[in-house]
Amino acid sequence: MRRKRSVVTSRTPSTAPRIPTPGSGQTIRKPARASTPVVATPAPTPPAEPMVVDLSIDLAPTRPGALVLRNPLLVASGTFGYGIEYGEVVDIDRLGAICCKGTTLKARIGNPPPRVTETPAGMLNSIGLQNPGVDAVLEKYAPRWVTWEVPVIVNVAGESVEDYVAVARKLDEQPGVAGIELNISCPNVGKGGLQFALDARAAAEVTAAVRRVTELPLLVKLSPAATDVRGIAMAIADAGADAICAVNTLSGMALDRHKRKPLLGNVYGGLSGPALKPVALRVVYEVAQVVNIPIVAIGGVSELDDVLDFLMAGACAVQVGTALFADPVLPVRLIDELEQWCQAHGMASHRELVGVALPAHRDRPSVKGVEYRP
Amino acid sequence: MRLLDAELSHSREFLPGQWLQGYHAPWLAAGAQAGQFVHVRTPDYSGLVLRRPFSLNTVDRVTGDITIHFRVTGKGTEVLARMRPGDRLGMLGPLGRGFEVDPRTRHLLLIAGGLGMAGVRALADDAVATGRQVVVLFGAASAAEVYPSTMLPDEVEYLVATDDGSMGHHGRVTDLVADYEAWADQAFACGPEPMLAALARLAKGRNGRLGVARLGRKGGGRTAALGSAAARRASWLQVSMEQTMGCAVGACLGCVVIGVDGPQRVCREGPVFAPDEIVWDEST
Repeated sequence: MRRKRSVVTSRTPSTAPRIPTPGSGQTIRKPARASTPVVATPAPTPPAEPMVVDLSIDLAPTRPGALVLRNPLLVASGTFGYGIEYGEVVDIDRLGAICCKGTTLKARIGNPPPRVTETPAGMLNSIGLQNPGVDAVLEKYAPRWVTWEVPVIVNVAGESVEDYVAVARKLDEQPGVAGIELNISCPNVGKGGLQFALDARAAAEVTAAVRRVTELPLLVKLSPAATDVRGIAMAIADAGADAICAVNTLSGMALDRHKRKPLLGNVYGGLSGPALKPVALRVVYEVAQVVNIPIVAIGGVSELDDVLDFLMAGACAVQVGTALFADPVLPVRLIDELEQWCQAHGMASHRELVGVALPAHRDRPSVKGVEYRP
Repeated sequence: MRLLDAELSHSREFLPGQWLQGYHAPWLAAGAQAGQFVHVRTPDYSGLVLRRPFSLNTVDRVTGDITIHFRVTGKGTEVLARMRPGDRLGMLGPLGRGFEVDPRTRHLLLIAGGLGMAGVRALADDAVATGRQVVVLFGAASAAEVYPSTMLPDEVEYLVATDDGSMGHHGRVTDLVADYEAWADQAFACGPEPMLAALARLAKGRNGRLGVARLGRKGGGRTAALGSAAARRASWLQVSMEQTMGCAVGACLGCVVIGVDGPQRVCREGPVFAPDEIVWDEST
């Protein structure tokens, strides 16, 4: 166990007020921030107002106050840069959390262009984890993150377990970092991509190694390409992850018919967007039946119906990714729509909806076919 | 940069498959520079998840109208071409860094290949409005695809090259550059990458022509950092590049071109670059 610090802002529960959450018996705490005064949410409203909907969600229940989001709408890694790129277009303080661009120990130049292309109801990308390295990222952006109310979860990628551990160590000492999202499922890099997400033992190994060096909330991002996501999810949960993110992109490709060659510079790219949603929904549904930790759904969220689907399938928060490119303010709109939907359906919190579609008994895994019944 | 709804005011197919559309977007028109672009949302998200980037073809700051010029190449542009006056379109812009015109520049050479006219067209208006002399060199496959001279300002000198010789010079537009190389203070180009690579070879060693007046002054020998506005202004040639794009604000790193200092985002560091910032593909 590492030494306790007294000034790291996002993890000092003693200064955070207790906020009663209507609808559930538990109490949760909002993370205190360094520069901004602690404001209790939801704001006290006069009784004449419509029912107060509590959209807050704790993504690390075993670490009280460490990663409590005001609402369950996050922006997905790789689609929102480091939180500053959209400037005034997006009111970031309304978001639940920001997952920043995949960050590695050393700078990466990324894959050759072209890197993105549109596909039916989706897109392919093969950025190849271009980033300036964790030191440069923290030096440049962490001072801003500290001043924000919205938690920033740093997406971490690496070529080896040692890489992940080294990056996690640096993040652990950094004010402004609210959590770590372990990217063990990038389909666009050679070493250190999918090898961790397709094998339960490797996934558990990297999760446990990072867990040992950091007190930060730890989210692990699954790949939809895994044959048996249940085993991998269970291994990750047992290894000490606070939450599971499902899913990363699914490897695919596109052709340039004029040149009669693969279109992307890297040949293969990760599929995202509405085309991926049914796959993500299946993974969330399967994983929710076997783990007790929170699940953050990612995959083609582009309207309220998608959010509701993922919540019902067992996710307690969702990330918006590809849809941001078409509509950067979509997450903010979805927050309002979710609140209105909960009010209209007499729900005090969206948490009442989480997992309602799950079966009473554990469903068969998707990899197992149905027995032949004459 | 702002998200806005622009109303289509006019739309016409002025060449086979090529459309010119005017949109009323006063906020955009007021702040946009020549060389910048807008990221246009296709109305149908379920099928087409990405926005489409278009150069600001013309910007009328008085009426608040902008135009975009595009060729119908796929589903997105088909949807755009079917729009009718009064329809509204979501735009994000103005985006990117525009052309850097040196205040001392009197003679501008604009070089456009095909749809590349959309990239440099706005600069012709700006230059004429500020009393500069403009020569536009335009290259196309055949006479049927030549940009009509009537759509350019009257003050502009307009020369055409076609690959099949059906109009103007028989050959590449880059063949015409030699005649104007000495005349032009600055050159601005947009078009297919082989054309830009050829121009970059021609432009080598021509940088800093306007810097002669600075000789002997304090700081005269200082060179601006690669990619800075000052370095681009000092470059004889500036090129507007194209790449498939995701977010268009610099977040997704999807639209990069290979630069000397690593990948350069067309949406953020570009779309306008000085040619010595780019690693050109010499095989073309």
